[in-house]
Amino acid sequence: MPETKRPTVARKTKSARSAAKPVSKPPRSPQNGNGAKARAAEARGKYVYCIIGSSEQLRFGPLGIGSEPADVHTINYRDIAAVVSDTPIEVHDPTRENVLAHERVNETVMRKHTVIPMSFGTVFKTREDIVELLRSAYDAFHDVLVKMEDKLEFGLKVLWDRDVMVREIERQDEDVSKLKQEISVQKGSTYFARMQYGRLVDAALQAHSEKYVAEIFEALRDVAVASRANKPIGDKMIMNAAFLVARDKETAFDQRVKEIGARFDKLTFKYTGPWPPYNFVNIRLKLERAKEK
Amino acid sequence: MPVERASGGSSLIDVLDRVLDKGIVIDAWVRVSLVGIDLITVEARVVVASIDTYLKYSEAVGQVGGIAGPKLIDNKTHEAVLAENASLKAQLAAKSGVAKATAGAVAKRRRAE
Repeated sequence: MPETKRPTVARKTKSARSAAKPVSKPPRSPQNGNGAKARAAEARGKYVYCIIGSSEQLRFGPLGIGSEPADVHTINYRDIAAVVSDTPIEVHDPTRENVLAHERVNETVMRKHTVIPMSFGTVFKTREDIVELLRSAYDAFHDVLVKMEDKLEFGLKVLWDRDVMVREIERQDEDVSKLKQEISVQKGSTYFARMQYGRLVDAALQAHSEKYVAEIFEALRDVAVASRANKPIGDKMIMNAAFLVARDKETAFDQRVKEIGARFDKLTFKYTGPWPPYNFVNIRLKLERAKEK
Repeated sequence: MPVERASGGSSLIDVLDRVLDKGIVIDAWVRVSLVGIDLITVEARVVVASIDTYLKYSEAVGQVGGIAGPKLIDNKTHEAVLAENASLKAQLAAKSGVAKATAGAVAKRRRAE
């Protein structure tokens, strides 16, 4: 019975607004608990996927989150719109299915529109609430939509095989190869030689990785609007980047990534996209309690 | 190694990497978010706490490693741009004969000449 988890502090409602939508009014007293339970079971909210610029009502088809893919449509305010679908009011766990549904909708909308993606799991109670969201943050949304117009995000992860690199370093670096030689023939303790070998190899790996990453960023610089380096995940990854690319430079960017792939044949590239510009837009909204009148 | 592009939705990790805390995020009251954000009946209003766009990332060149900005026009280095900037300021100051307060360094240099 989630309805009872709502903050129970008594507060005034603007009479005109609440009168217009009695269904979404929270239970005010224990007496109507049963009614609340019945309502909770059938309560429908609106899941928000993204914000786009559009003055028209749009429909994107049955793609939405939920076991029966809900109809995805817009809720409009002036020249911007929220892309939403009806959903039960509940916490959406980031399961494979849910997360992919969220992404699927964004990718579909993105084909024809500039989107500001919403982070996963945002559900509003009513259509009016979403209009209120669009109204309150209109300037921010409008401004960011203009900035993101016709720009796409691409992901580029670069991985290497550490062992292959270590062998490479042993071949190339004289100090390292000498030490390796020493360790293999030395009698007695090789502790210090091994320590030093480890230090040298680590430093050389680090230097190689930095050099590769710098070269890759440099090679993509003039075909991207901006880039962002995220923390690499795991010890094979040396680069975890996102690039913001103008739609008309998409082919050029694509071509450049492929050239880089051919040039750095010891590295593995994971190239993904187009994505909504998740890595290049961060709008944090907070809810504030409106002042009591 | 030939590089193939995979569409966004093909890797769950890549999707999770993005959708959980990026884009538009609402720092809601936890209890409110449990039952859907309810603006009107709980008399809440939405306030924009912060906006960051790619401009932040392109301006961060040099401060944070690996973050690249748009390519500078004509491949000028930062120093070259600063030098050009200073010389333009000097020209401007010479023409207008004012702007002494703002072009202090330039004025000093001109005195030294």
